[in-house]
Amino acid sequence: MKRKIAVLMVATMTAASLAACGGAGETATTAPAAEEAPAAEEAPAEEEAPAEEEAPAAEEAPAAAVDGTVSVFYYTYGDTYISSVRSALDAAFDSAGVAYQDYDSNNSQTTQTEQIDTAIAQGTSLLVVNQVDTGSDDTTKNIIEKATTAGIPVVFFNRSVSEEVVTAYDKAVFVGTDYEMAGHMQGELIGQYLVDNYDAVDLNGDGVISYVMFKGQEGNAEADARTQYGVEDANKVLADAGKEALSFYDSNNSNKYLVDQGGAWSAAAATDYLQTALSQYSEANNNMIELVIANNDEMAIGAITALQNAGYNKEDGSATVIPVFGVDATDAAKDAINKGTMIGTIKQDAEGMANTISQISQNFMGGADKFAEVDSANVVGTWRVNIPYATYTGE
Amino acid sequence: MAENKLKAKGAAFNELSSKEKSKKVIDLLLNNAMYIIIVLAVIYISIKVPAFIKLPSIVNVISLTAAKLPIALGIGGCIVLTGTDISAGRVVGLTACISASLLTTTFKVFPNMTSAPPIIVVLLLVLVVGGLVGLVNGFSVAKFKLHPFIVTLSTQLIVYGIILMYLMNGTNNGQTLSGLTEGYRSLITGTLFSIPTATGSVAVPKYVLYSIILVVVMWVIWNKTTFGKNMFAVGSNEEAANVSGVNVSKTIMMVFVLAGMMYAVTGFLDGARIASANANTGLNYECDAIAACVIGGVSFVGGIGRISGIVVGVLLLQIIFAGLNFLAVDANMLYIIKGLIILIACAIDMRKYLVKK
Repeated sequence: MKRKIAVLMVATMTAASLAACGGAGETATTAPAAEEAPAAEEAPAEEEAPAEEEAPAAEEAPAAAVDGTVSVFYYTYGDTYISSVRSALDAAFDSAGVAYQDYDSNNSQTTQTEQIDTAIAQGTSLLVVNQVDTGSDDTTKNIIEKATTAGIPVVFFNRSVSEEVVTAYDKAVFVGTDYEMAGHMQGELIGQYLVDNYDAVDLNGDGVISYVMFKGQEGNAEADARTQYGVEDANKVLADAGKEALSFYDSNNSNKYLVDQGGAWSAAAATDYLQTALSQYSEANNNMIELVIANNDEMAIGAITALQNAGYNKEDGSATVIPVFGVDATDAAKDAINKGTMIGTIKQDAEGMANTISQISQNFMGGADKFAEVDSANVVGTWRVNIPYATYTGE
Repeated sequence: MAENKLKAKGAAFNELSSKEKSKKVIDLLLNNAMYIIIVLAVIYISIKVPAFIKLPSIVNVISLTAAKLPIALGIGGCIVLTGTDISAGRVVGLTACISASLLTTTFKVFPNMTSAPPIIVVLLLVLVVGGLVGLVNGFSVAKFKLHPFIVTLSTQLIVYGIILMYLMNGTNNGQTLSGLTEGYRSLITGTLFSIPTATGSVAVPKYVLYSIILVVVMWVIWNKTTFGKNMFAVGSNEEAANVSGVNVSKTIMMVFVLAGMMYAVTGFLDGARIASANANTGLNYECDAIAACVIGGVSFVGGIGRISGIVVGVLLLQIIFAGLNFLAVDANMLYIIKGLIILIACAIDMRKYLVKK
């Protein structure tokens, strides 16, 4: 009897998960990879290994352009931007006929390193790594050592790794963005917008724009750069136009930013912070926050929600719009910009990054020059390719 | 009547020796330490930043508390059973994603849909989903005699996997869900009533009302129903409850199902409150909820806890959050202060228990 109930439970669970997924057609390609990752981790059993290698190979049957399987390690499936890269990279590999396997490192460097060991043990022919711990040369060295021992190339992407470590291995490259660039471009975008709309933004007419800065995470190089340059570069533009520098809304806060406590760059953190701040700073008190700068679009969207609840940035255009700026150009942010509730964002080109990774992987596996057919304007030295950012302020 | 009682207490107190008197006073202070800490914190912060006790700030703290209450109310029951539930945050995430994907104008997860279903249907759907996860948790705890930590650790992972798959569905590609319908948003974040102030007015959002309703409902369930009494009986002594005719398995399952439904409500509210949902939504929400329950005197010893305690626990955490922001205290300090408060709360709680023994 008990066993029957257990079977029933499992059935209900499966049904529930299926129901939750609706028509699960799209998930078919990603699901097996997600499930395989842990399985591969625990048991590189000889019987299993070939079966796993075959699975993706069979899936990507159409045109076996190059031999071997590419192993792709994403720092987390939970990141919106990384999800865009993953979809684009899967598509790029599919169309090029390259067999690949995706791993979710789930925000843990330990998990990722173990996954890399497993993939190498399985006989993978190329590593594509979105390193979890940025700014750790030892981690990068460790991964490169593993690749060197196995004699396979490694392509790092998205999260920055240092030049000296990557250049030490001729079969290692880094596909990233000039991570400081996003901050610089955001700062310039903000500065220019303020110069053009200074009096409208300066709600209390005191000649100074008071702003709030939302930082995504402590100890992340990109977050640090965006937090710094988003303001510094805006101030440069303002100074050139003879305007006062930006002033943080709360003069007691020496950090001059509010950081997501969970380090998740989350919308909820920005909403809670701004809601709390707006209970003290308002137009009625003549100290309203006049500008919102966020490290990413998630936090920008969260800030807009708090503003909307306080009667600003309405979609119908009936209320004052506090300018909000983000980075990433996620779909949600683009929607907000087109509706006029957000002003601008900096676009990270997920497809461009994916196509470049795919091209370099094929070059390595096909024995061509590693940067063959990659836009040479983006190539830096012999070790990295920078995918350019673009500003997005609506269509 | 109450006066007589007080007088009697006073008389009894006077009869005690001075040593016993001071012991009584210390007991009283310790037993109400959390309330005293709240009052002291509020006084300190409002001396430093007077705006903290102005109306807009009070409304802010209340609405933050309201947003975080339902999940704590749900998890409280699991703790009364000497258990815990670490799948809570992910269930919030899943239900927020389901709500945001259906009550939208863009339909990226379900490209074939053209119009949003009625809000009540979505609410019922997420309640069912939350309840199902709760049922799996409760069933495994009750029938397989597994520790809730292990069970909910498993469901936490399973639910996260489902969230990731769900977000890859349709044309969404793992992106953040937004573009919610006006009806959904205004139902949650719309103005319940406005309080006029000297310089304008302060709007109280509607979800504050929903939270109050949930508190009342949970209070009735915990205190006035057989199920509630059974829950405490099972929590304090499973064997004894079993012997006295309580259906232990059924009680455990119902507690977890109820908890799952409370997480679903949290997800439903948070979807509209934050106006976006993605794979990170709800992450670690259970930590704050468990902390709030423990601060509020819901004991891991089992069978002990009050709804009012949970409300106080959530309120205290939000006062700290808002207060430290007003004081512009370094964010790093928040972790330390929170940690200390949880530790002190648990120590006081345990002390009460030891005294009873």
